Amino acid sequence: MWSWDFAISILPQLLQAMIVTIEATIVGFVIAALLGLLWTLCKRSPFTPLRIAVNAFVEFIKSTPLLVQLYFIFFVFPAFGVSLSPFLAGVLGLGLHYSTYLTEVFRTGIDAIPKGQWEAGSALNFSRVKIWTQIIMPQAIPPIIPMLGNYFIVMFKETPLLSAISLVEMVQTAQMIGSASFRYVEAFTDVGIIFLVLSYPASLIVGVINKRIKQRFGQSI
Amino acid sequence: MNEHVAGEPLVKYRNIGKRFGATEVLSDINFDIYPGEKVAMIGPSGSGKTTLARMLMTLEKPSKGTIEVGGELLWHRNVNGRLMEANASHLRKVRGQIGMVFQHFNLFPHMTILRNIMEAQVHVLGRTKQEAKEQAVKLLEKVGLADKCNAYPAQLSGGQQQRVAMARALVMKPKIMLFDEVTSALDPELVGEVLEVIREIAEEEEMAMLLITHEMAFARDIADRVVFMAEGQIIEQGPPKQIFNQPKHQRTMNFLSRFSAQSQSV
Ligand SMILES: Nc1ncnc2c1ncn2[C@@H]1O[C@H](COP(=O)(O)OP(=O)(O)O)[C@@H](O)[C@H]1O
Ligand SMILES: [Mg+2]
Repeated sequence: MWSWDFAISILPQLLQAMIVTIEATIVGFVIAALLGLLWTLCKRSPFTPLRIAVNAFVEFIKSTPLLVQLYFIFFVFPAFGVSLSPFLAGVLGLGLHYSTYLTEVFRTGIDAIPKGQWEAGSALNFSRVKIWTQIIMPQAIPPIIPMLGNYFIVMFKETPLLSAISLVEMVQTAQMIGSASFRYVEAFTDVGIIFLVLSYPASLIVGVINKRIKQRFGQSI
Repeated sequence: MNEHVAGEPLVKYRNIGKRFGATEVLSDINFDIYPGEKVAMIGPSGSGKTTLARMLMTLEKPSKGTIEVGGELLWHRNVNGRLMEANASHLRKVRGQIGMVFQHFNLFPHMTILRNIMEAQVHVLGRTKQEAKEQAVKLLEKVGLADKCNAYPAQLSGGQQQRVAMARALVMKPKIMLFDEVTSALDPELVGEVLEVIREIAEEEEMAMLLITHEMAFARDIADRVVFMAEGQIIEQGPPKQIFNQPKHQRTMNFLSRFSAQSQSV
């Protein structure tokens, strides 16, 4: 039978675990964004071998399951002398996996910049680096913020996978509560509600940002 | 106007050829521009005028031949008598003498007008922000847009944007400035204000100008020399009076007559 008392009594413990979930999402997203940007820049390099290598690597990561990558980082890396905590292995795997999606997002943003912007920068004799930092990126990023926001929410909902490498996040905590009390219904219902309460407003916020950006830039991607 | 046509040329195109894939768009161009000289370039569309200018701006690489600017090779380096491809830092060094105004303005939409004109001064010339701002305001006054400092490009008319683009190029003090059909993307009623600014620049500034244009009356008015191009070649060149009144080549005559027929029919 559903017990309100029990459902409420386990909330503090679940909310504690929620912090781990949010931390993993944020750190994973930062890693994904940095790596994604790096892949995008490498893919535009004039040096062909680098382009080919990065393309192949990105395709490889994208077409293998995140769960396998997590197992690999957590269980196989130690054989090569790299032992990572569940949290580190988790955010690394999550970040690496989603970097292959974010690189596409960055590419979309950069491709939308008209050729004339590069040419004007070059004609004014800006260095390559300054063209990127002063002219291209400040224009490429704002329109893709909604897409980045959507991936952030997707990654948030993917974090329960990290329980597979023993990270004690929300789902893992619910699992432990369930097996100790045999009250799985309350535990997982709570988890579902917490995810909903966080994800839904987040997607509303992304929607609002999207609208603002459309007004500001006339279009988004 | 400027009578600087003596001495060494500032720009020398030598045996320049350009092909895009299998199509040859320029063949064996030899062409000089002298310091301070105002050169107007006319010719049918597709004749290679833009490509010629873009090669000088280093936006397009010649397929053969050399370009010299101020006595220095632009796309090459002379290493023990052999021509080697120039590296990025050499290109940057020589490119600093060249400026360009584009048909579609290409202002930076995420910056105010003031920052559009300050940005390269700060990041390329290493001027302080204060200095860059003073220069920018001075140039904006010159093009009649001092009141638009804090506006964004999208808030300006096409003619105003093009005037800002000219201020942005001018503030870098190039030795030669390229104008590639800078009025042809504008509504007809905005052409005049832009031509007026170009005329002022031509009269006041020491720098050389290469003006690709379809505004024949304007070209005749401000140019020291007019160059007529067709099918990837320079057909003839000379003082405006000669080119417009006594063209030597049948092709030039045809082009000019078609042009005056067109402008009469409008
Ligand atoms: N990037 C390019 N790729 C292929 N063909 C080009 C390119 N740029 C110009 N062309 C071709 O070169 C010829 C000369 O073009 P252009 O220099 O723009 O002439 P103009 O400025 O006199 O109109 C045209 O036939 C044009 O189609
Ligand atoms: Mg052209």
